[in-house]
Order: sequence, then structure tokens, then C-alpha cells
Amino acid sequence: MEAKEQETPKIRKIIHVDMDAFYASVEQLDHPEWRGKPLVVGGNEARGVVAAASYEARKFGIHSAMSSALAAKKCPNLIFAKPRFERYKEISLQIREIFYEYTDLVEPLSLDEAFLDVTENKAGLKSAIFIAKQIREKIKEKTGLNASAGVSYNKFLAKTASDLNKPNGQAVILPEDAEAFLEKLPIGKFFGIGKVTAEKMQNLGIHTGKDLKEYSLQFLTKKFGKSGLHYFNIVRGIHLSEVQPHRVRKSLSAENTFEKDLITLEEMKANLHPIFEEVIRRIEKSGIKGRTVTLKIKYADFTLQTRSKTLEQYPDAETIWEVGLELLQQEEIPKPVRLLGLGLSNLNITEEQVHFGEQLKIPFEGK
Amino acid sequence: MKFIVSSSALLKQLSAINGVVTTNPVVPILENFLFEIKDSELTITASDLQTSMMTQIHVEAKEDGNIAVPARILIETLKNLPEQPVTFSIDHDTYAVEISSDNGRYRLAGENATDFPKIPTVSNATSVDMSTEVLSSAIANTIFATSSDELRPAMTGVYINLSPTNTTFVATDGHRLIRYRRVDVASSNGASLIIPRKALNLLKSTLPSENVPVSVEFNQSNAYFKFGNIKMICRLIDERFPDYENVIPVDNPNKMTIDRAELLGSLRRIAIYANKTTHQVRLKLTGSELMISAEDLDFSNEANERLSCDHEGEDIEIGFNAKFLVEMLNNLSCKEVSLKFSAPNRAGLILPVEQDPNEDILMLVMPVMLNNYV
Repeated sequence: MEAKEQETPKIRKIIHVDMDAFYASVEQLDHPEWRGKPLVVGGNEARGVVAAASYEARKFGIHSAMSSALAAKKCPNLIFAKPRFERYKEISLQIREIFYEYTDLVEPLSLDEAFLDVTENKAGLKSAIFIAKQIREKIKEKTGLNASAGVSYNKFLAKTASDLNKPNGQAVILPEDAEAFLEKLPIGKFFGIGKVTAEKMQNLGIHTGKDLKEYSLQFLTKKFGKSGLHYFNIVRGIHLSEVQPHRVRKSLSAENTFEKDLITLEEMKANLHPIFEEVIRRIEKSGIKGRTVTLKIKYADFTLQTRSKTLEQYPDAETIWEVGLELLQQEEIPKPVRLLGLGLSNLNITEEQVHFGEQLKIPFEGK
Repeated sequence: MKFIVSSSALLKQLSAINGVVTTNPVVPILENFLFEIKDSELTITASDLQTSMMTQIHVEAKEDGNIAVPARILIETLKNLPEQPVTFSIDHDTYAVEISSDNGRYRLAGENATDFPKIPTVSNATSVDMSTEVLSSAIANTIFATSSDELRPAMTGVYINLSPTNTTFVATDGHRLIRYRRVDVASSNGASLIIPRKALNLLKSTLPSENVPVSVEFNQSNAYFKFGNIKMICRLIDERFPDYENVIPVDNPNKMTIDRAELLGSLRRIAIYANKTTHQVRLKLTGSELMISAEDLDFSNEANERLSCDHEGEDIEIGFNAKFLVEMLNNLSCKEVSLKFSAPNRAGLILPVEQDPNEDILMLVMPVMLNNYV
């Protein structure tokens, strides 16, 4: 036996945010005359398919992936809106900004849904339920759109929870309630159990989580191979997949701690220049531009000060140096300086460019 | 039941199949070897339910019988005994196993052989014959590119497609893909199957170095490999393999030919300076010069090297994960390789320039997006 104490894994706080009928709601937002009316996003030509349906359209039994022809038959007054993905993306980015106010651990699943790990969050809030509520309020305020949210201790349960009080609602699955909840859940709703597996399970008499739980790991691995372990775990509320953020760089900077504290302005200027050169080198390499120049000053007593200036246009190297000097001289430096840093923020990288540095996937069809 | 066998001969057989035995099996009895004696032939079976291996050895026995023997203790014991005949005596009431040697006696608790899971047989099988040489090189050339993502089970094995003219082995993890084709293995009835990685790893370590025939039989759910006195049966991955032919680019305006060892050496050095998460290296082709560079902005590390190559096509700059390139180049044995590209966001191909006429190797790797290392 090992004497080492076993570390209990910390319980995570995961939020799944899901926009309600996202594409359709954006169209209704931008076209007030369409509000409250049955609407679908998608072409109404012969072979068109419904990409999204408003809640009004759903009342007619219309849902996404349905052929446009059938949808039109179900609801003669149906409005067909042409998809405008640029616009959806724009709003999606606004929403994502709200997420980043709370955590950098954001894993977007698509334009209209994302996982957030708020176990540790920038707001210092303990309650993930409260954060979810705040996020939904902010989304409404900023974009005018409704979002639903689910809160739990893993991704699968959070995603399941966001469906519970949809639209415009939220739900929580607490660790102590998870087992009972999962027992009642229909088998097809489990994460990683698709149509084919669900059918296979139903043939075995497995219809709910409770049925699934009655089978041993041995049986499940025998029937389903390696996935058996996943099914065995998930019905017990075990899903260890982490929230995987595609981090967006927010700033680009360089800094240096000096061997001897700097006292005179001349010394500071002389020492700031190599830092500036490093920033320029990184800018040239990365192709990034930024409109806000920030000077970071750490004093000998370890207190920290930042001074920044936002410009109308992306500055060239010369301007960055001028602004850097201006920031250095705009106020008196009261104490000896141990560190100087220079950086750019308000960058020109958009969501598109986040993919730089990313490993591309083989474009298999149907994947 | 009682039997006598040479300690080292038995150890050799057990070691051949011991890889199947897992330390924490789904059912505890799988920590045992199943011993079955019939007419002085001892059949030994090891299994983890997905994969089972069997071997045979002649023993001196007066009667038939079965017992399950704890694998780890038995192997350890035999390993530490000097070569000699050892006697196994089995008490069928208590399942106790006693091993007697010149050195002394060892008692271990066996289990009822009837509790050992039944090993499936392959009925309605399609069969194909190949040599251990072909099978080993097919495994070695593909297995490293399989995925370990259990949520994409099809990619956790190697896909084998038999056709009347050739046999194709394919592995992919979604970022790279290896297609290894043999024209000296074929089957008149076309068929395809996905063999799990574990089974292939076991084969790889068990296949003898001398070239002997391997018979492969399979149906919808299992595959059966037989060579020498060893048999392996494994459950197939019952999934649809991604449509790999469609993703292999045919139009590649850029073609570069370069010494494999030089490129490999250079990539290994440059990779040290690459970003630790992306392992991105930049290949810049200008005329017949290839510049390989990498940098890690977070640490201000950077490196670059220049190599000369033959190059047809426009100048191009493309990024790749150095680990993938190193692994792929390392698996080839030819002197020169050619690399084909079309665009910095399209698949690149690595092909050996000269190869065995019976083999056809194609390696595909997706780029890591360039322009910005942040």
C-alpha cells in the first residue's frame, strides 16, 4: 500500500450557455416586423433546408434540418430569412466577450453555445448559478437576445441542464442530485450515445440511465468495446473532459527587470528602448497590431503602475516609441524603478485569426 | 492432474502471450492463464475479453484436465528458476497448484478453469495469407498514427482493406494519415476491417523475426491470426472508417525532394526551439533552398537552418507540427523523400522516393496555421 495521501479532485463549476433559437432570434432582432412571427433561417428553394426555426415556427412542428418545402407546407405564412453568418458571428463575438469577463476557460462549441469553467473566475464569485444569471442578463442587455444556461460539475451535466428550462431559463444539477437525475434520463440523451448505440441499448432493454446502471462494466465493455467504460462512467456522473479554451491573445508585450533600480529619466529611456525593440520584433513576427499602448512600471517597493493611451489608428513603430516616451514622462516617476514593460492591446486579431498556430484537422466528410 | 514440462520452454510460451494479461482486468479471473491439457498437449490462453492469445506446448501428462493459474506469480517463478523439468500438480477440489522443482516447492492458488471466459471462434470467415514480414511492416508503418481518442473509436485501430489486387492498411488520428499498400497480399473477395491498436501492438511484439506464414481469418466481429504455434483472436472495431481516399490531395503544384536523414536531423534540432504546445516549425521553400525555422515567443527562443533540395513549383511557406514530421520521417527507411504541398492550409504529403516494389507508402499531414505564432 502506498502511504501517499490520495488527492481528492476539486469539484469543477461548469456553465453551458446556449442561445435560444439563435439565428432566428437574430433575424427577428434586426427585423422588428418579423418579431412574434413564425420564421426560419434557410432558403425556400426546392431543395432548401431549415437551418434554424423561431419559437413561433416550432409551434407548427418545424425544426432545424427539416426541408424548407415541408416547413412551408406546415405553416403557409412562414417567413424565410436568408442566413447572414457574418452577422451571427459578430453577435457571437459580443457574447464571447461577456464570457471572458468571467473566465478565460471558454470552450465555444459553435456560434451559439459554449462551455465556461468558472471554478476560479475573474469576478471572484462563489456561485456559478449567480454567474450564469449575470451572464444571461448581460447578453440580453448587450444583444437583446435570450440565452439559457445549465450549471453543473462537468460538461455533460451542464449541457444537459441548459436544456431543462429552455427558453430563457437556467437550471442546475448539483453533485448530490446528479445520480437521481441521470437515472431518469432517456438513454439517447446521454453524451456520446448516438442514434445507433441508443438503438442497440434499447434492444437490450436499456431505456433510461437507471437501466444502464444495472449493467456491469464487464458486460458493457463486452457489448460496446472500449466505449463501454465511457457509458459506465457517464451514467454515474463521471465525465472528466476539461473545458478547452482556444485562447485569444489579448495583448502583446515585453518587459525587463533591471539589475539595478533606475533613478533618472535618462536611465529609464535608455533601458526602455531595448524593450521597445523586442515588442517591435514580436509585432513583425506575428503580424499583430494594437491600438492601445501600455507602459508598465514596477517600483523598487514592488508597487505597480500602468499608464496607457489608445490611439485612433494602429500605430507604426515610431509612434509606439513616441507614445511610450510620452507615457513615461506624463507624470513624475516618484520612486526608483525595478521593472519596465511596454505592450500593445486592443489588437487587430479577430476570431478568424485565432486559428493561426492551430493544428488543422483532416477534412473527413461527415465529421 | 499432474504434468511435467521444461521451465524455460514453458516460460517462452507464456512470455509470448503474457502481453494480453492486464493488471486490472474487468473480471479477476483474467489475471490467470488458462491451462488446458489434452493428449499431452498443453494449450495456454490469456485474454482481456477484447483480445485473446493462445499457444501450445507438449508436456508429459498422464491425464487430461484444466486449471486457471495466476499469470504474474507463475511467470516470476519460472523466470527465476534455473532451466529444469518442473512438475505441476493440481488439486481439482481446491484448485491449488503446486510446482515442484529441484530447488523446492511452490504453492499458488489457482481458479476453476470453467470460470475463464469462453474464447470466441470465427465462423463464416474470410481468410487471407501473408507473411510475418508483411504484417510486421504494415503494423510498424501505421500503428503510430492511430488515435487514442476513445470518442472516435474508428480511429483507434488500423483499417485494413482487402481487394483482389492489393491490401491497404490505413491509420489516422485526424491530423495525419498513413496509407500503406501491399501488392503482394490480396484477396479475391474484397473486405475491410478495423483492428484495435492493442491487438496490433501485441502482434508486433509477438511476431517472430524469421519470416513465417501468417493466416488471417475474420468475420463481422472478430479476426483470428495464426502463426507458428501462436493464435490470436481479437474483437474488431465495429465502426465506419473515415473516407480516407477523398482527403488525399491529388493536385500538388509543389514538389520537393530532399535527403531524408538530413531533413530529419534538422527537424529534430529545430523542434527544440518550437512552441511547446503547437510544436510548430516553419518550412520555407525558396527556389531550391529549404529554410526550416521555429520560435517560441514566450521564451524568446528561435532557431533556423537551411537545407538544399530539389524543388518544382512556386515558393511556399507552410507550418507543421515537428513531432509529426519527425515521427513520420523516422518510420521511413529510404534515402530520399519527396514532400508535396498545395497551400499552407491544405494537407501535405510525404512519399518515399524509392521503395520496395511490393510496397506503396503515403503519409499525409495537416499543417499548423502560420503567420502568427501567438
